[in-house]
Amino acid sequence: MIRDFEYLRAGSLPEALDYLARYGERAKILCGGQSLLILMRQGLVQPEFLIDIKGLEELNFVELTAEKGLRLGATTTHRTIEKSPLIKEHFPLLAEMEKNLASIQTRNWGTIGGNLAHADPAGDPAPVLIAMKAKVILQKKEEKRVLELEDFFLDFFETTLAPDELLREIEVPPIPEQTGVYYEKFTILKSDQGIVSVAGLINLDDGLRCREARIVLGGAAPKPLRAKKAEKVLCGEKIDSKLLEKAGEEASRESEPVSDIHASEEYRRYLVKFLVKKIVGRAWAKAKELAENKGG
Amino acid sequence: MEKRLIRIKVNGDYYELYIKPKKLLVEVLRDELELTGTKRGCNTGSCGACTVLLNGHSVKSCSVLALQADGAEIITVEGLENSGRLSPLQISFLDHGAFQCGFCTPGMLISAVALLRENPNPSEEEIRGGIHGNLCRCTGYNSIVRAIKAVAEGKYREEEK
Amino acid sequence: MRKKYTVINTPIHNIDGVAKITGRAKYTFDIKLPQMLYGKILRSPYPHARILKIDTSRAEKLPGVKAVVTGKDTRGVKQGIWRRYKELCDEEILAREKVRYIGEPVAAVAAVDEDTAEEALDLIDVEYEILPAVFEPIEAIKEGAPQLHENAERNINVTRHIEWGDVDEGFKQSDYVREDWFRCSSQAHVCMETHCAVASFTPEGKLTLWTSTQSHYYIQVLLADMLGLRESDIRVISRYTGGGFGSKFELDSAQFCSALLSMKLRRPVKIVLNREEEFMATKRRTPMFYYLRTGVKKDGRFVAKEARVFTEGGAYTAMGATALYLTGFFQAFPYVWPNYRYDGYRVYTNTEPTSAMRGFGAPQATFCAETQIELIADELGIDSIEIRRKNAMYPGYEVPGQAWIQSCGLRECLDRIEEWIKKRGELPPHRGIGIAAYGFMSGGIFNWFDTPYAFSSALVKINIDGKVDLFVGSQDMGQGSNTTLAMICAEELGVRVEDIRIHMGDTDICPVDLGAWGSRETLMQGNAVKMAAADAKRQILEFAAAKLSPNIVYDLDIKDRWVHLIARPERGLSYFDVVKEAIRGKDGQPIIGRGHYTPHRKGMISPAYSFGVQAVEVEVEQETGKIILHNCVTAHDCGQVINPLGVQGQLEGAIAMAAGYGFTEDLPMDEGKILNPNLVDYKILRAPDMPKTEVMEVETYEPEGPFGAKEAGEGLTNPTAGAVANAVYRAVGVSIKNLPLTAEKVLKAIKEKENKKEDEGRNEGI
Repeated sequence: MIRDFEYLRAGSLPEALDYLARYGERAKILCGGQSLLILMRQGLVQPEFLIDIKGLEELNFVELTAEKGLRLGATTTHRTIEKSPLIKEHFPLLAEMEKNLASIQTRNWGTIGGNLAHADPAGDPAPVLIAMKAKVILQKKEEKRVLELEDFFLDFFETTLAPDELLREIEVPPIPEQTGVYYEKFTILKSDQGIVSVAGLINLDDGLRCREARIVLGGAAPKPLRAKKAEKVLCGEKIDSKLLEKAGEEASRESEPVSDIHASEEYRRYLVKFLVKKIVGRAWAKAKELAENKGG
Repeated sequence: MEKRLIRIKVNGDYYELYIKPKKLLVEVLRDELELTGTKRGCNTGSCGACTVLLNGHSVKSCSVLALQADGAEIITVEGLENSGRLSPLQISFLDHGAFQCGFCTPGMLISAVALLRENPNPSEEEIRGGIHGNLCRCTGYNSIVRAIKAVAEGKYREEEK
Repeated sequence: MRKKYTVINTPIHNIDGVAKITGRAKYTFDIKLPQMLYGKILRSPYPHARILKIDTSRAEKLPGVKAVVTGKDTRGVKQGIWRRYKELCDEEILAREKVRYIGEPVAAVAAVDEDTAEEALDLIDVEYEILPAVFEPIEAIKEGAPQLHENAERNINVTRHIEWGDVDEGFKQSDYVREDWFRCSSQAHVCMETHCAVASFTPEGKLTLWTSTQSHYYIQVLLADMLGLRESDIRVISRYTGGGFGSKFELDSAQFCSALLSMKLRRPVKIVLNREEEFMATKRRTPMFYYLRTGVKKDGRFVAKEARVFTEGGAYTAMGATALYLTGFFQAFPYVWPNYRYDGYRVYTNTEPTSAMRGFGAPQATFCAETQIELIADELGIDSIEIRRKNAMYPGYEVPGQAWIQSCGLRECLDRIEEWIKKRGELPPHRGIGIAAYGFMSGGIFNWFDTPYAFSSALVKINIDGKVDLFVGSQDMGQGSNTTLAMICAEELGVRVEDIRIHMGDTDICPVDLGAWGSRETLMQGNAVKMAAADAKRQILEFAAAKLSPNIVYDLDIKDRWVHLIARPERGLSYFDVVKEAIRGKDGQPIIGRGHYTPHRKGMISPAYSFGVQAVEVEVEQETGKIILHNCVTAHDCGQVINPLGVQGQLEGAIAMAAGYGFTEDLPMDEGKILNPNLVDYKILRAPDMPKTEVMEVETYEPEGPFGAKEAGEGLTNPTAGAVANAVYRAVGVSIKNLPLTAEKVLKAIKEKENKKEDEGRNEGI
């Protein structure tokens, strides 16, 4: 059951930061609450104070600039991201990923900031955003810091957020030309929580060699995992099916999946290999298509 | 912990309530306002039986603190009828037998309403996606999909007038 | 001769529909009474332990707590639904000396609100002596295994034996004999409304219990014994039940503990099980370990079958004894087996008790039987439909010593499915169509409950305005029995459904019916309703005959509110007018019709059997083993369809549940602890996961059923797991014999097959 707590509604970001500075250790940020309330009901989290930032419109935005790329406010709902014409046009994979996340009800109220702060290693947004080289802006009362999203996660449901700090914004740099980026999660039932998921980004140079590869695994480690060894296999090379096979094997080796009632470790490793091959293959094919069609 | 005042509009009526901060929206609707149409079926936000409209969006009322609904407009299943006249969707549910035990039905109707408001012409895939968040153990969903489709196809235009 | 019906077999609105779709329907979950308290149950964390001491003093002192009860506050009665066999009544519900599964209740608290009650649980100190536990039937049956119940040596709870012909001789005469082992998993009912009860005991010494149940009569009787009350001093009310599927016709912890607390406090007490308790501490489908040895002739004729089954009983008998019998009985369905032998053993284990779930042992039996038949068909080079057709049951067949099959549309079902498969034509790659045939009972003939009442009764009362009050003992838990029964009543009486007002779900008012389980309502309650309506009609017709005074060769009937001569329908009177005159003629008394039904001399199982054949088209992802359902077509024979929307709904719901049993649902355990007691980790199908469904009605006429009707809702759950398994076999050539067919299992089987092929290829090269 949910224990009693003191409810603090933040009318502005400074007010929220002020509350955090004062109550940090004894408080939790409430936004969409789609994950937090379940934890509280199970008794896993029992904060004395809840700082409600759901109403902070100043953190509810989707903006696109040429230099910075995409800026997402932390209190932006999944549904907003899913439906945003801006995102559909410039970062369609984000909208696609959101479409298959949980259910409409969850997406209507749950937020991207809340999702990332919850740090579920099987969550969908993190692998996609990490593949896209997203950064997060963390804020405390007197201090702001910017991190690569992949460095934001520490462990199962654990981030680097200090008790008096909140996640305020996510930045996704513009996707360079000649880039393909895809995401897929393996589920038994549709739109379920993924058993394992893979996000892959491939950027090709004019010689159709892989200039950059980013492969991120979800549900295959205590946190979203960059399969760096697998990426190395591809970098600088002309990608073919043999290379994809090797990258898949490498990713499978470097993943750290667990066995649970849904899948054994062995099967998860197998799925990593399978999905990496598939997703990176698609990303490469797309990048190749874009490169070949460039300049008419 | 002190109780807080919230002002909430439910099915067109205004209410002022004093509640503990930890009260969930579903508890306020069912226990304070005695609108027991909205149900609860789980503790993990999985089943959707508690779905209501909050400012026009479908949400799981078990996963929204009542205080967060302060100033909001809520529609529950009780608010779908108009002075006792059933809504087109409700009539379609009757015509298609789109319910059996009925426990998931209020939440299902709300999700269907939300779907059709946003997308008056959904494909079958979109309909299924629209009720994905609502579990039903009795019907196997297909009758519900048929009922929603019939409304989308305009078979109940007369009722809408 | 084809009969034409006015009311039945027409799609109509469910008569509880408006209440359900407007949120007006009040379920037990919604009941709130003045002065009501909230209860919570403390449950054993150990699978097997002796209770040494329970100290409730700290809990009692918590402000807001009104009472705490433990096993010491009970009469110490061991109850069970098999009342005729005292040794099978083994469950105290609130444990006194020993706990036998994780989740077994040891104490219950009533407090001013739920949170206080929950807090109080933490303040109850229980001292346990942990005992060694056993979890698998194969372990529990060994010498020296921990014993759960004193009287059950080697933990054998019940055994069952069914036999006819000479199986050993039959194997000698067979051209081909094969044996296979199977493992059938458990499954959770996952009713949307969890188990709940509101008990209100008042100073007059009467108990009213609102509860979510499939049988208010059973609950009334079982509670009376447990509490030491007179049966008729207990009123059980269950107007709306949010799903049952077999989980809600036994006495449960919410009902018993709330009643106990209310008796102590003389205040209403409400207990609602949360979803976790629902998974862990109610009952579940019986897991089974199956051995089948089957002998056939090379032309596909079945000769002999031997079945040996061990079922995981869990901690108590519950309805497991029935599941044990029915699985053995339906193992021989729906075919003619000249020789058959079944031996079943139900073994106690320290796990959640296994009991009744939609299909009641038949889905397990059908999965095993149909999977094996497919392999046999392949081995002999015989078409899947053909082998089934060759051996199909037929009208007039007698299952030796067990059952008479009267109506049976199985052959036609096979034809229709064959037609569909042909029409479907060539399939896209990686797909396969699997079929499975089934038969199921329409209510059981057994009285192990030991009721002195007719199995089902009904009362019809016609008022001055022609409105008919129909009193039934059945329970509508969503399967639509209220509507079906109203239609039967209207059809028989000759009025419209809107003329019927049904009274259901209140033991104070309604006559007795054994409840909605074993697919009995349409046939048994339906027959009782038809009889009551016929009785009332007869009285009306007496007055109409007097009024019309037709020649003696003419007889009368009522159709659509028109009382008329059957041969000369234009000669008649308005039903409403005749009713008025009939009531006047009876000294101002409303017309009362009475009906009842108890099966007599209907064989060992059921008066009638439904049949069907299902084809499932699946796609298997070669690289991952994932199964995707595309099509599910069912040709079924439920006799005369009464409520067509109801039947279609039952079919589609059954597919979702049975497909889940086939490949997504399971209750994995670790040392008796269920690892997925929530709706995130327990996977049930959602709307996007459903295949396209098609239902083909094969109409027959069942003499035992009202207007020729038989059951529909439960039999339809039988074939799907088997059909899915067979479809996977057709798609990728692997036959998996243990449920559920997870992607990982399928992939493993595919890889093994590939490796085997490689090895064979290599060997051939030598």
